[in-house]
Amino acid sequence: MGGFEERVRRMTRRHFFGLNSTGVGLAALASLATRDARADASAPKTVHGGLPGLPHFAPKASRVIYLFQSGGPSQMELFDYKPRLREFQGTDLPESVRGGQRLTGMSATQSSFPVVPSKFAFAQHGQSGAWVSELLPHTAKIADRLTFLKSVNTEEINHDPAVTMAQTGFRLGGRPSMGAWVAYGIGCETEDLPAFCVMISNSGGGQPLYDRLWGSGFLPSQYQGVKFRSQGDPVLYLSDPRGFSPDNRRQFLDALGDLNRMTAAEFGDPETNARLSQYEMAFRMQTSVPELVDISKEPAHTFELYGEDARKPGTFAANCLLARRLAERGVRFIQIYHRDWDHHGNLPQDLPKRCKDVDRASAGLIEDLEQRGMLDDTLVVWGGEFGRTVYCQGRLTATDYGRDHHGRCFTMWLTGGGIRPGLTVGETDDYGYNITKDPIHVHDLQATILHCLGIDHLKLTYKSQGREFRLTDVGGTVVKSIIRG
Amino acid sequence: MLVTYDGKRKASGVKIYLNGQALETRILFDQNTEPIHHPKTPLRIGAGGGLRFLGSIADVAIYNRALAPEEAAAISVRESVARIAAIPEPQRSPTQSAKLAAYFLETAAPQGIRNALGDLKSLRSERQQFYDSIPTVMVMADGASRDTFVLKRGAYDAPGEKVTAGVPEVLAPARAGSTDNRLGLARWLVDRANPLTARVTVNRFWQSYFGFGIVKTVDDFGAQGEFPVHPELLDWLATEFMESGWNVKALQKTIVMSATYRQSSRVSAELLQKDPDNRLLARGPRFRLGPEVIRDQALAVSGLLAEKLGGPSVKPYQPAGLWQELGGGSGYKQDQGEGLYRRSLYTYWKRTVAPPYMTNFDSPNREQCTVFENRTNSPLQALDLMNDVTFLEAARKLAERMMTEGGSSPAERVGYGYRLVLARAVEPKQRQVLLNALDSFAISFRANAGAAHDFLKQGESPVRTGLDEAELAAYAGVASLLLNLDETITKE
Repeated sequence: MGGFEERVRRMTRRHFFGLNSTGVGLAALASLATRDARADASAPKTVHGGLPGLPHFAPKASRVIYLFQSGGPSQMELFDYKPRLREFQGTDLPESVRGGQRLTGMSATQSSFPVVPSKFAFAQHGQSGAWVSELLPHTAKIADRLTFLKSVNTEEINHDPAVTMAQTGFRLGGRPSMGAWVAYGIGCETEDLPAFCVMISNSGGGQPLYDRLWGSGFLPSQYQGVKFRSQGDPVLYLSDPRGFSPDNRRQFLDALGDLNRMTAAEFGDPETNARLSQYEMAFRMQTSVPELVDISKEPAHTFELYGEDARKPGTFAANCLLARRLAERGVRFIQIYHRDWDHHGNLPQDLPKRCKDVDRASAGLIEDLEQRGMLDDTLVVWGGEFGRTVYCQGRLTATDYGRDHHGRCFTMWLTGGGIRPGLTVGETDDYGYNITKDPIHVHDLQATILHCLGIDHLKLTYKSQGREFRLTDVGGTVVKSIIRG
Repeated sequence: MLVTYDGKRKASGVKIYLNGQALETRILFDQNTEPIHHPKTPLRIGAGGGLRFLGSIADVAIYNRALAPEEAAAISVRESVARIAAIPEPQRSPTQSAKLAAYFLETAAPQGIRNALGDLKSLRSERQQFYDSIPTVMVMADGASRDTFVLKRGAYDAPGEKVTAGVPEVLAPARAGSTDNRLGLARWLVDRANPLTARVTVNRFWQSYFGFGIVKTVDDFGAQGEFPVHPELLDWLATEFMESGWNVKALQKTIVMSATYRQSSRVSAELLQKDPDNRLLARGPRFRLGPEVIRDQALAVSGLLAEKLGGPSVKPYQPAGLWQELGGGSGYKQDQGEGLYRRSLYTYWKRTVAPPYMTNFDSPNREQCTVFENRTNSPLQALDLMNDVTFLEAARKLAERMMTEGGSSPAERVGYGYRLVLARAVEPKQRQVLLNALDSFAISFRANAGAAHDFLKQGESPVRTGLDEAELAAYAGVASLLLNLDETITKE
């Protein structure tokens, strides 16, 4: 760490925090020190990187695990129980409900908009009495630990802008993602791994995702999410080439260090020393990352929690398990994407498959975190970029229907660090089409997530193209009612 | 029914005829990004946009050129030429007359007329070729202007005050008699009385040489921008630039031949404390090179660089599966041969899945305009330079050069590689470190021939024959070391 500390000494404060600083920093890609990589949840964590003055106030959560369900899971079938839809079944969605809303090009030309109730049964669960669908039996079992937001809303009606909005606070690409903002603002608690890690689970199909969803936008690239892959190197370029042994690499780095130190002595540029330590970090990542992704030593009961799928690399379950392992090691922001929730048609057949992919592992992750005493300071977020319409898209038959995109209301759940469990916030009308109480805009959710991490979303800004930007653009109000006192 | 299409990207190139008569069309989408003659574009008859023709089609003919209106009229007529000729002229329909006239012109008209017809055709085709050779830009001519309004709070359906085109007069008023179109804007931008354009431009060139502009906020010369650290210098450079007739080359020359630019990059701890970003220019610049330059440099020193100019983008090495993971589909199809070794500005850029090498080294993401590249320093960069096949292959080719062009002794060869990469002679202490590394690599590769063989197999270029594999592998290790040096990827 000598390089970094020396640089700090040799720099003025203004330089270090100034705009466009070449910013070595120990942030998203934090230093790798020699300490044991094994996690110790109880030990106080040291923060690496981050801005002075942050967190703005005492954080309730130290890290976030965001289980993003890409494609728009149907709230009608999963959480937002609407018993009166049986009465309305097959009737046209009243104009008084639709209110002249613009629809997507996929269903706007339909001659009718027949209301379709969920084919799947709902029941109330736990002391909180939360309604959860039969498609999510494991989630139902932990309902008391979850807080359901039934009134999340977005202006977006298509995947690309909606996912970009959910992850970067703006519909067009180019803004930093939430994890990048967090890494920039409060750094991370590990010296071994990136502050912001991303995993994409296999679902066999679904809408494409984009680098920008975990990109750093106009923030320096060291804050970008680092993708952990289930094929090839877990982190790109991690492995030495075939034939080049670890001993060779050590000799290589020793010689490189000698030569770079000569350069540092000759030119006096602190960047050279910083580069030296980055190479040492890279070398340690070559050990710590394979150790991280090696789940062979996980006990059998781990797989009882997450399901046997967790043994197959690239599944949502395996990624949830990795998320816990990343969380244990102090990674700040862990993002999982599961795709193929876009059920325009064939919903009764396809939706259960996606639920099966994620239900057990989502609940297993929560239980696992709780057993390890980590749920108190780990915020877990579950949800997609929008919901789905109450009316049927395409042909409505006795056994088949589909639903189009619906941004006016959808359901997400939160739990863990900072969140009061067992609540349901927000209400929708009998059609599940409009919000009747306590709307929560995507920006409000983002403000709330930052709040849990001790960040005032109005104050975490970065100047680009001549003005200050923030994650929540020009909106965002913290949903105080769900914050633990 | 006849449809003709001139193969261009405009809807006006499509004409629809029914029984030889052109139909009026309504244009819904005025662009066609995949011309009809594209080899991979299927030609669908009776389908498109989700609609299907129901019924049967008796006969279909496809012509290999767009028929002219008179030809369209002619071919709509079923009757033979002989039969039309037999019909008294007043009773012929216009299309029948057209068919007869076309036949006459092509086969029976006097030779002079037929020659003239041939000339007309070839001249038309020549004219078309000329038009086709003009590159298309977004706006080829000023069209009719439409009313434009300030949209209240940005909502598309809440028009406010009506506004018209003009220049920001707070910067410099437009000259009397100037037009309020693009030409007027262009003239205003480079008007001698408007120094802003020249200042912004020279400031950006300055940034590319010194790491920071004279105004650090290169994208903001407004009230929130930084005040220039050397205002007279900025003004002088801008004035010179305008007076030289906006001569970019002369400007570069002025900058790089200045005493300021030619200073050493060496910095004392005291000076670093006082001026960490070198805004006061008491030393020469020192900062990490951009991603394109780092890769191009590795290709150049190894002799792999393909110097071909222009042409479509190329797809160099990329780890397998990156495209499929995010977008499905058949994925990235890497080029072979020359396409792997072109300059990085030709690298194919998929915006949703950017080349990881570019992102690692802070290339802007192409989502928004930017005039400043961040320069971070991360372990991912180290992994990239050490393990990306691009740099490993370049290291091997550089090693081949060291062994074949660099002389006979290890010291000479190492010195040669050093000079190729850093453009200066190696000093004894650096040479000793490199020679020690060479020895230790050589020992391990001699002990393990399989490892040497594997290590040399990086990349698609053939391994030069006639060299000892263990020795070449050891030199390749040293060459990789050279490509990873701080000094190599840093401008100083």
